[in-house]
Amino acid sequence: MAPLLFPPSQLSPAEALALSKKAPTVLNSRTTNLLSGTEKPEVWVQYENLVISCLRTGDDTAARKCLERLTERFGPANERVQALQGLYKEATAANTKELEEVLKEYEDILAENDTNIPIAKRRVSLLRSMGRVADATSALVQLLDFSPTDAEAWSELSDIYLSQGLYPQAIYAMEEVVVLSPNAWNIHARLGELHYMAAIAPGAGQGTAAGGSYQRHMVEAVKRFARSIELCDDYLRGYYGLKLVVQKLLSDETNNSAKQTDDNEAALPDTKTLERLHELATSKLAEIVRHYTANDRGWRGYNEIEIAAARELLAEGSPKTER
Amino acid sequence: MAQIPVQTIPRDPQLFYWILFPITLVMILTGVLRHYATVLMASTPKKVDQKAMREQRALLRGVNLRSNHFVLSKSSFTSRRDALITAFESGAFLKDPENRNQPPPNPLTDPNAMDGLMGMMKNQMAMIIPNSLIMSWINAFFSGYVIMKLPFPLTIKFKSMLQAGVATKDMDPRWMSSISWYFLCIFGLQPVFNFILGSDNAANQLAQQMAVAPQPAQLFGPGVDPNKQFLAEAENLAVVEHHSVLDGVEKRLIEGIKL
Repeated sequence: MAPLLFPPSQLSPAEALALSKKAPTVLNSRTTNLLSGTEKPEVWVQYENLVISCLRTGDDTAARKCLERLTERFGPANERVQALQGLYKEATAANTKELEEVLKEYEDILAENDTNIPIAKRRVSLLRSMGRVADATSALVQLLDFSPTDAEAWSELSDIYLSQGLYPQAIYAMEEVVVLSPNAWNIHARLGELHYMAAIAPGAGQGTAAGGSYQRHMVEAVKRFARSIELCDDYLRGYYGLKLVVQKLLSDETNNSAKQTDDNEAALPDTKTLERLHELATSKLAEIVRHYTANDRGWRGYNEIEIAAARELLAEGSPKTER
Repeated sequence: MAQIPVQTIPRDPQLFYWILFPITLVMILTGVLRHYATVLMASTPKKVDQKAMREQRALLRGVNLRSNHFVLSKSSFTSRRDALITAFESGAFLKDPENRNQPPPNPLTDPNAMDGLMGMMKNQMAMIIPNSLIMSWINAFFSGYVIMKLPFPLTIKFKSMLQAGVATKDMDPRWMSSISWYFLCIFGLQPVFNFILGSDNAANQLAQQMAVAPQPAQLFGPGVDPNKQFLAEAENLAVVEHHSVLDGVEKRLIEGIKL
């Protein structure tokens, strides 16, 4: 039952299916026992997660049953239960009109209680999935105005901005997340990715007047990836990003000599450092891929797709390193 | 040396049925009753309105930024700091900006604060009233009875604990008076309540006393002027000496990780 306790949003479809297959056993077990008396909060976390994975896998009846149990226990006025019910309605809505109705319901709830954060978040994500990104953004900004310590909302905002190509805004929002959780290596790596994307975006204009911002983003990306590796050894995404960015910087250097700016922050690390970083990232990536392929103990937790991407990156980089 | 003769006191077996058993039963029932009374009387936690939440969380954001400033690069930190300091000093996050410079209201007249005090009062009352009732009941009907003999020997120090209300000098401390049985029930019935009512029941007065005792230093309690807090936080932010964890991270990485 252990995986049932983790939020299922990160699960692959196969895992979600496996989880939702557990629904009947969980539903058949009694929630409260007269003799044991104590009810554990984990039970209800399980139910919540089951609702979500059942909805993902299309097992609407099981989701309905779990939801009923939750409603029975916490009452229909509970904020989380309301959000889950909204989620259920969204998932079972057949057409846009029904979605509009769900949205209307959310707005009614929010008009009554404007600090109902779960519902406010559902509204944002519903607006976003309906394609009304501008509305979603303004709703999210409004939510963050009165609740600026919500990491989840900030990262969603960052994601929305990124999807619109607004890199500085996306970076700003992600930096708020990293302030809230300073040691989250995945957030550091994500910031690195954002900086890299901002740097290579067509608007940033490599070598043009805005070249300073290109370099600043690249340097920041290197540092963020390095920090994420520092926080988490053998972090695949960190090494991947580091290799990608450093490789780009090195190839830039051969083309045109790096512009040294007065700005201390934007100063590139010297070529030697870059080369050593590149070497380090390449060999580490190779090590991770090797161990994963050999199915060594302690190296199995990586994502299949990420390993494949790393292998590809290594393959395309290999002639370069030999040269 | 002659063995000290074992004290024997002939007791009516009816003592068990008419004193020991009733006291225990009454104690258990009162506990159950108190649990349900507390559940009924519990006021629902008051809804925080949006402005109050904004005020609290904006301040928290300032605190977070101050304590985790090192994850940001210098430029992003300074821009955030300047924005927050300006907003804090102008009172942009205050719940009601118009009475900024007025003295804080008296917490006793603030209805929100009164709610909390009333809740505490109710809890205390639910504890005190039944306890004093039962105690006077026992005192009125059963005082001066020796009702049981403990199956293990005890030292003389336990005499005052176990024989309250029975003023005999030479009696073995193993003999127990009715009022002492009552006290033992107060302290010892917790597992029984756990069994009957579940683990977070309200019947246990000891747990409640513990919960009341440590009053946490309230960050946003009544009587604290939020404007002053914001100004103090702005000052704290202004004096932060920024250093970034990103400075020299490449060098640390190269040195730290051996291939």
